[in-house]
Formats: sequence, C-alpha cells, structure tokens
Amino acid sequence: MNTQTQPVVDLNEDQRDCYQELTNVAMGQAADRLARLLDAYVVLPIPKVNLIEANDLRMAIQEVEDESAMSAVCQGFIGSGIAGEALLLFNDTSFHDLSTLMNYPGELDRFAEMELLMDVSSLLIGACIQGIGEQLEIHFNQGHPVILGQHCKVEDLLKPGNHQWTKTLAIEIHYTLEHVNIDCDLLLLFTEDSVIKLNDKINYLLD
Amino acid sequence: MSDANIELGDIHWLMDILQNIDVGLVVLDRQYDIQLWNGFMESHSGLSPQVARGENLFSLFPEIPQDWFTKKAEPVFELKTRTFTIWEQRPYLFRFKNYRPITGRASVMYQNTSIIPLQSIDRQVNHICLIVYDVTDIAVSRADAETALQSLTERNRTDLLTGLLNRPYWLQEATREYARCQRSVHPSTLVLFEIDDFRQINVLHGHPAGDHLLKTLADGLLQTLRRTDQVCRYDGETFAALLVDTDEEEAGVFAQRIHELSSVVNQSGLPAGVSCTLSLGIARFQQDFSDSAAWIQAAETALMQARQEGGNRICIHQP
Repeated sequence: MNTQTQPVVDLNEDQRDCYQELTNVAMGQAADRLARLLDAYVVLPIPKVNLIEANDLRMAIQEVEDESAMSAVCQGFIGSGIAGEALLLFNDTSFHDLSTLMNYPGELDRFAEMELLMDVSSLLIGACIQGIGEQLEIHFNQGHPVILGQHCKVEDLLKPGNHQWTKTLAIEIHYTLEHVNIDCDLLLLFTEDSVIKLNDKINYLLD
Repeated sequence: MSDANIELGDIHWLMDILQNIDVGLVVLDRQYDIQLWNGFMESHSGLSPQVARGENLFSLFPEIPQDWFTKKAEPVFELKTRTFTIWEQRPYLFRFKNYRPITGRASVMYQNTSIIPLQSIDRQVNHICLIVYDVTDIAVSRADAETALQSLTERNRTDLLTGLLNRPYWLQEATREYARCQRSVHPSTLVLFEIDDFRQINVLHGHPAGDHLLKTLADGLLQTLRRTDQVCRYDGETFAALLVDTDEEEAGVFAQRIHELSSVVNQSGLPAGVSCTLSLGIARFQQDFSDSAAWIQAAETALMQARQEGGNRICIHQP
C-alpha cells in the first residue's frame, strides 16, 4: 500500500442539496415499490446528507450492541468504481409486526428473525441503492448481506483504528411505516475515494 | 451492461465463459421453469442442460422449499430488485455433495445465492437469474474458528493437572456469586479443603506420587459434583468449591461426601505407604462480608481451624 496523503473529502451546500434530491427521488421510487409489495404506506423522510467521522459510525454501531445482538444488517455495493456500504439499523422494530407485514407464518425463533432481517434489508437497501444508481447511471452490484452481531463481532467493529478512513459521505434515511411498529435507519456510507468520483458526477448534474 | 455491439462471434466465447465460470448460473422464467443451466450446475448436479432446460425448478429439486424460495424471488420479478440468501440462514439451495475427497471436510456444498432481475427489451422482468456461490470453505473455516475459540476458552479456565477449574477463573465466578448473593435470598456457600500433610507425601514419595494423589482426588471430585458446583484447584494441594444456592446444612452434606472421598482415593491404587485425609472449612455467605475476598478469607479461617485441630475434619466458619 502506498502512503499517499488521504483524499480530502469535501461537500458544499449545492452538492449537499443535490445528494438530498437524488436520495429523495430514489426513496420515492423505493417507497412506491415497497407499498405495492407490502401493502403498507411508507412514511417518506427527508434524507440527511452529512460528512461523518469514524467515531460517529462507532457510536451508531454501539447502539446496536447495547440494544440487541440481532438488529443490524450491512451490505456492500460497488459500481463504476464507486463503492460503499449500507447499514440498516432496526431501532424500535417489532419482529412480530414485521412478520405480519412480510406475511410470515409460524413461530418467530432466531432463524425466522434472521430470515425477516434478510428479506426486509434486501428490499430496503436494494430499492434505495438501485434508485440512486439509476439517476447517476451507475449499475451497482451488491455483495451478500452481513448480519451484525451474528456474522461479525460488533465489538471488533468498535475498536478504534479499525476503520481506514477518517471522514466520509453518509446519507441517512429514517424509515417508518404507518400503523405498524417499524422504525429503522438506513445509512449509506461511501468510501473516501468514491466521494470524489461521486462529487464529480454531481457537479456534472449541477452544471 | 446491455451492449448492443456484441457480435455473433462474440456470443460464442461469452457462452464459453458462462460454461466455465466457477459459479452456478440458472435462468428461470415466471413459472420457475429452468431456461439456462451452466457448466457449474451441470457438473455438481449431474444433470445436463438438455435435461434441466424447461423443467420446473421445484419438481427437479424438491429440496428447495417453494414457499421460501418464491418469497425471495417474487420481489425480483415485481420490484426489479436483487435479493440474496446466505448460508447462515439456509446452508444450501441445491443439495450438492462434497466433491473433494481430500480437502473437502463438509458433507455438502454451502451456498450463498443472489437472485437478479433480467430485463427484456421492453423493460419487463420475465426472467430472473440465480447465481450460486460455493462458500463451503468459508463455512468450514468459521466452524473451525468457533471450535478453536471454544477449546481456548475451555483451556483458559482449566487447571491442567487436575482438569478442575483454575484459580483465576474460579475467583471471577466467586466475585460474580458474591454480587448475586447480595441481591438474593438464597445464599451460597464456599468450601475450602486440602490434603493433610501433603508436603510429607511429596518429600517421602516424590512429586509424581503427589501429582497422582491430586489427580485421583480430582477425578473423584468430578464424579461427586452437582452441575452447578464450581470447584477449582485453589493452590497446590488446596481446593475451593463454590456451592450455589446451598445453605450451611447442605454444604455440610457436600463436605461430608468430600471428606469420605479420601477413603475411596486411598483404595484406588496409590503408591504403597501413601494415604490421604482431608481437612475442610465451610463459610456461608454473610451480608456483612465487604467483598468476595472476605468471604474466601472466612472459609480459609475455618480450614485453618480444622488444620490446627489436627486435620481430617470439617470446620464451619462462625460469624
């Protein structure tokens, strides 16, 4: 590995608005699809676009550990040299409501919960990434999902110095569904070098 | 992706790649009939594309639960989104046998799969592609790592000579039990015990004889213990037992059983001239112990009293 200086990640107001708009449109499409599939109204949030530091991420993950071991899913994505990872955090979600929504019969054991997490995260993450990709004309490939706490130890993710970046772009979407107890946060985190390429694409749209 | 500039000749080698790539590729139509079946799938299933093509996935592979699979596949048709399955939720989709007699250590192939939408020219999704990844090695290494971790944890808390718990681990447990007792109405009891005149045995008969005695006693102990009893080799010839939810009276019965162990140990082929008797000290949890060390100290005092009274007896700590 070379020891070149880290790319400086930067974000101006126009770019921030543009990311927000982009995500809004993607979310709209995603919500529409979800509503058709789940027969439930998805409350559309205003996405938050921010530069976050590794510490902020650790705090978000810390909450997962404090709450319960099985309530977060990560999935990597990459396309046209732009890469990132989506983190879906289920905050105050009832697995019971989720199973009714997804039409899952039977008892909710550990395996059934994993199935639910996998299916719901496939939908939420997939729909959003796809929506953003379509607008930027990037075809994103997705890796296999990883359930935090089950597949990788949360405490390992929390160790300082484990993350190779200092500051990067994060898009945060807060999902809630009407009439059911489902409340989750989707965090899209891009790698530092991807942000520079993404900013180029955004600037092109802004011009 | 949808490159219009692929020429007919190119399709030939593209097909070659499809055939030879080391992942499984299956194209399914809306009825889940197989439309494409690549070399990987043919090799592992033993079914040629001629046989598989046009067959229904679920009738050809009854091991795939239809309900479960369509739950993953329908959103791909409906929402044009990708879905995934991982081996942790279901080890495999297709039951493919282990194909490596030397390095393959699992009986089946573990699989991750991706299900991706295939758009036709009119942007409709009438076909989906199922990509099957062989992740057996990952699954096996994960199991190995877990086994290694477990045996390390085990080793870390065991006294190597006797197979009982070791002192550091037992002290942790005692501290935890102390904290629990403070909140509980069911107090627990500590028993410390030692082999009388053990040094003499070492001096007269050598260390191997001493070790043999310790080990024989530990084996006897392991057979007498209840599941919740935690016994460690505390120090040299001293042992410590943590009896959860046990009052003085019950602890007395336990101590009596241990005391009688010495006669069993004496009949178990010890070197000639070696015999053992035991001294025991019992201390029940008291609310006024300032910490777990004070509790252990109380048991030690009782043990010391048993020793001073000539050994081969049980003494109870008097608060």
